[in-house]
Amino acid sequence: MPDLPNKKVGLVSCSGEELAEGTIARVATLLVLEKLRPDDTVTICLPLFLAGGQEEQAFARFYPTIAIDGCDKLCAKRGTEAHSGPVANVVVVSDIMAELGISLTNSRRALDEEGLRLARLVADEIARRVDALRREEKMPELGVIDLSGAERPAPKVAPGETVCACRAGGLPVTQVEMAWGRVGIVGLQPLFERAYAQGLRPSPDVGEQLLKTVKVYNYVPASAESEYAKVLAREYTTFCQRKGT
Amino acid sequence: MTTNNKVIIIPCSGIGKAYGTVGREATYMVMEDMRPGLTDTVCLSLLVMGDEEARRRVRENPCITIDGCPLACARKNVEFAGGQQAVNLRVIDTYKEHRDLKPRAVTFIDENGRQLARFLAQQVAAEVDRLLYNEEVS
Repeated sequence: MPDLPNKKVGLVSCSGEELAEGTIARVATLLVLEKLRPDDTVTICLPLFLAGGQEEQAFARFYPTIAIDGCDKLCAKRGTEAHSGPVANVVVVSDIMAELGISLTNSRRALDEEGLRLARLVADEIARRVDALRREEKMPELGVIDLSGAERPAPKVAPGETVCACRAGGLPVTQVEMAWGRVGIVGLQPLFERAYAQGLRPSPDVGEQLLKTVKVYNYVPASAESEYAKVLAREYTTFCQRKGT
Repeated sequence: MTTNNKVIIIPCSGIGKAYGTVGREATYMVMEDMRPGLTDTVCLSLLVMGDEEARRRVRENPCITIDGCPLACARKNVEFAGGQQAVNLRVIDTYKEHRDLKPRAVTFIDENGRQLARFLAQQVAAEVDRLLYNEEVS
């Protein structure tokens, strides 16, 4: 069974090197990834949206994503939305501090007891929102193919690493032959797997059906939609033949 | 170059890997302990967002970028912002010279990571001196 990302929640922290609040954001995010919800969360370095490629930029379209920001500049939220996709939720450290009446005197370099306490509070808040997103059990914009309820393999995390989306080459991309050349489509293989498992079989409009979901994760120019639909139908028919249908 | 300029040290945000934590620690070692007042940092996230002030700072000051993995987020994002990329260092290169110091902790740096960061910080500090005073790095 493919590793279907919608069962996990994406966490994108601001890097926040200039501020203690940034360190709180980062440590809280890591506490969730490593301790509180290791099986339910995945992360990516925010700068990878620019430094990486199509796979990394698809992150927030695959994972319902929580942005964790240190300050009201909201770099994680705005950066994710500018370069990847809409975020499902935002946690802002400075807002939590204001709500709790905490003023931070912590160094940005390493957290003292007070900083650690705040990081744990922020981590608890992130975990609460992760649980809430997972209870929703689906990404509503997925359209025709419901990707909820898919199993996924346990994450393999080496010492010195956490669950990082870039670690295993990012999100899956399948290249297909279009009329004008080869095009990489993010998430095609897992979508085919789920569509097949849900009983979708080749039909005159299967290309259009698949296209609705492919467009959630990929930019498809309006002028190329009919070619995409034709190619998706062809690829899916081949896929189904390999499955023995 | 005059000492009116500060050298901007920008580690990759490196949230998922121990080498990212090492790069960030080395940055703070140089900024706070080894070359305070001569160095500064910019949140890499601000550059990703296209923040004008952050872009101005990396364009007007020489930058040392530190990357924790081959994806080179720090170097590439400074390049995208049109920054003065003076030096790019990779944590893995420091590790190759000190293979007994394998860092394993991500959230809170471990002792191996701290020692590795010290070696890296020495290299960064030497590059800062070279950039500010035109001194040769030995």
